[in-house]
Amino acid sequence: MASEAVAQPILTADGTPLKDSLRKSLVRSRIQASLLVAPAFLFLVIIFVIPIGQLMTRSVDDKLVNQFLPRTFELFDQWDQSDLPGEEMYEAMFQDITTADKVLLGRATIRMNYEISGWRSLIKKSRREFKKIESGPYKEAMIKTHKRWGDIKYWQSLGAMKDEFTLGYYLNAFDLRYDGDKNVVQQPKKRQVYNLLWWRTFVVSIMVTFFCVILGYPVAYLLATLPLRISNLLMICVLMPFWTSLLVRIVAWMIMLQQEGVVNDFLVWTHLLGDDNRLPMMYNFTGTIIVMTQILLPFMILPMYSVMKGISPNYMKAAQNLGASPSLAFIRVYIPQSLPGVGAGVILVFIVAIGYYITPELVGGKDGRLIGNMIAYHMQQSLNWGLASAMGLILLAGILVLYWVYDKLTGSAGMKMGQ
Amino acid sequence: MKNTFKFALAAGAVVLTAGTTAMAADITVTSWGGAYTASQQKAYGESWEAKTGNKIHWESYNGGLGEVRAMVEAGNPTWDIVDVLPDQIRTGCDEGLFVEIPDDRFILDANGTPLDDDLMVPRPNDCAIPQIFWSYMPFYQEGTFSGEQPDSLADFFDVEKFPGKRGIHTWPQALIEMALYADGVAIADLYDVMDTEEGIDRAFAKLDTLKDHVVFWSSGAKPLELVSSGEVAMSLAYNGRVGAAILSEGAKFVPIWDGQVLEEEWLAVIKGTPNLEAAIDFAMHASAPEQQAGQAKWINYGPMRQSGLDIIAANEPWFNTGANVMEHMPNRAEVMPNSIFANPDWWADNGSEISERFTAWMAQ
Repeated sequence: MASEAVAQPILTADGTPLKDSLRKSLVRSRIQASLLVAPAFLFLVIIFVIPIGQLMTRSVDDKLVNQFLPRTFELFDQWDQSDLPGEEMYEAMFQDITTADKVLLGRATIRMNYEISGWRSLIKKSRREFKKIESGPYKEAMIKTHKRWGDIKYWQSLGAMKDEFTLGYYLNAFDLRYDGDKNVVQQPKKRQVYNLLWWRTFVVSIMVTFFCVILGYPVAYLLATLPLRISNLLMICVLMPFWTSLLVRIVAWMIMLQQEGVVNDFLVWTHLLGDDNRLPMMYNFTGTIIVMTQILLPFMILPMYSVMKGISPNYMKAAQNLGASPSLAFIRVYIPQSLPGVGAGVILVFIVAIGYYITPELVGGKDGRLIGNMIAYHMQQSLNWGLASAMGLILLAGILVLYWVYDKLTGSAGMKMGQ
Repeated sequence: MKNTFKFALAAGAVVLTAGTTAMAADITVTSWGGAYTASQQKAYGESWEAKTGNKIHWESYNGGLGEVRAMVEAGNPTWDIVDVLPDQIRTGCDEGLFVEIPDDRFILDANGTPLDDDLMVPRPNDCAIPQIFWSYMPFYQEGTFSGEQPDSLADFFDVEKFPGKRGIHTWPQALIEMALYADGVAIADLYDVMDTEEGIDRAFAKLDTLKDHVVFWSSGAKPLELVSSGEVAMSLAYNGRVGAAILSEGAKFVPIWDGQVLEEEWLAVIKGTPNLEAAIDFAMHASAPEQQAGQAKWINYGPMRQSGLDIIAANEPWFNTGANVMEHMPNRAEVMPNSIFANPDWWADNGSEISERFTAWMAQ
């Protein structure tokens, strides 16, 4: 009898099987849940997924020159690149330039100019001058309009642009490039700048993060342990600069630290320094580190504070009851418990620091260029969005790798943004 | 990370602007802000609004074509007119970001001089709408040096004769020209020398002699601050900033009218604007001789049209404070022999490469 009863489907009050009814209500609540999440999801897609996808395609896309020079590229592989190309390829180039759409020509020449400076004016001038050439042979006539047509390096540079996809921008971001045969070679010495900037960006970020930990830890500790009345006041002191405009803080530091500034004036007034040996603390590396540390300090203090607030004072008391000295108890008991906060702070500060560029530009002087400045330069000035995208993605990848390493080192519960 | 943000903004802008439609014929003019935008408003913005009944929204930006390209690519520009530098008018027109306007639409001067003869430099392309000349120039503060006073660009580069730090900008434009000129290259030969590898090496070698005495600046107000606080003894600056400080604030600055590098400033109409006719009408009004001259009432940048300069010269004192403004004009006849006309085509070709080298030079 019992087995028969189980075989019978259980019905709800209105006669539908309970299973179906349950499933329906489950579906309904799922739809509700996903509708609630939808705005956040859409936001993520619009703000992160689409732009990052765009970055990826831009950083490898190289169709432009293909569209501009189809005839030339058809012949390119037959050319051995050891000597100037033959009449046929000159004619193909002639046809490509004279028949191309004006905007396509403009955009493609800007792209070609990234490979070798001079392509742009060469093609623009040729477009005007070629109207006078009525028939072949083209080789001689073209070299006559502009001597660069007789310079083999311009022809060879086409090799790096003939594929529709390129890793050239990524190479460029590390001071490398393709030669005519698509071998990876070093950029000329005088153009090598990116490796230096990656390294400097990394060093600045590490140093700023380090100083933030050193300076932030005691402050966060005080905030978490002092009586509420005093710690509230201290908290306001931490937050006040956070609420002040970035530019105001930077200018304030300039007034303080420059050679004719408040600090130097004070040191000279107290005769600690001669008037001729004023310390250079602004518009150099020191200035960058000082100002960035001050600006990013709250990003370190707040996560540390939120974790420290959750550490019960009883642990320290217990450790001391069991015979540890206060300093030993602090090192063996308190610090390990506060590490998740330190980790969160380190990641936050490091990630923000690595993309900084306004502050270094304003206070850094000759040492003030970081990789962020070059990304901005290529976005705004040179319009080399391919290179800017590649550098942006390299930064992003670098941060993800660091985060992964950090996660491995500390375990998944290693970081806490709040309690 | 910054450019991720840019793209995000562009994407966000697409979503936000998708719903808005074209307003009557109000136009948005984007320029550099501050005293410069104010001079544009007073010289021709207000009069155009009064004449047509349309409104102008003034916006500021930090230069470059990043925003413009993002707008045009998204197919919905929110700016109609943009005020651009010589490099940008060329690349922007090449890229198809700007509208082409034929010569015959422009308003001629009282004598009917053809536009090309009236302009002090020819239009580089059909997108360029004449605006002003400005320059990079050296200056110092009265009383900085006792005895002999610096009066040439060579003096600016001579830290032994005139000790003290020097303020220079953080990009190579104009600096290469200045270094070579100070090193003795004739103005007419500058760009031929710069076309050779040795020429560029020579410029950097000259810059090397300043390297240990340099304070870099990247915003226009900074050099004035550096010089008046005594942080540097001499600095390069935009001529308009130095002139404005002297004319409007009575600052004791001394401009050195030797080896200044003249740069063009153009307006451009952005392709795809829904207010095309209104925007072109505004641009024609803004580039007429009278309005060109009118701008010099408020700021000492030089009109690009000779007829504009003539109006000023005939009506001195022209500046709004009742002072003479001609002596602060970067393109007045007396200073032209010692002035360098920047060659934007050279920079459009070589700008990226020289920028990389300059950044490496700064960093070493």
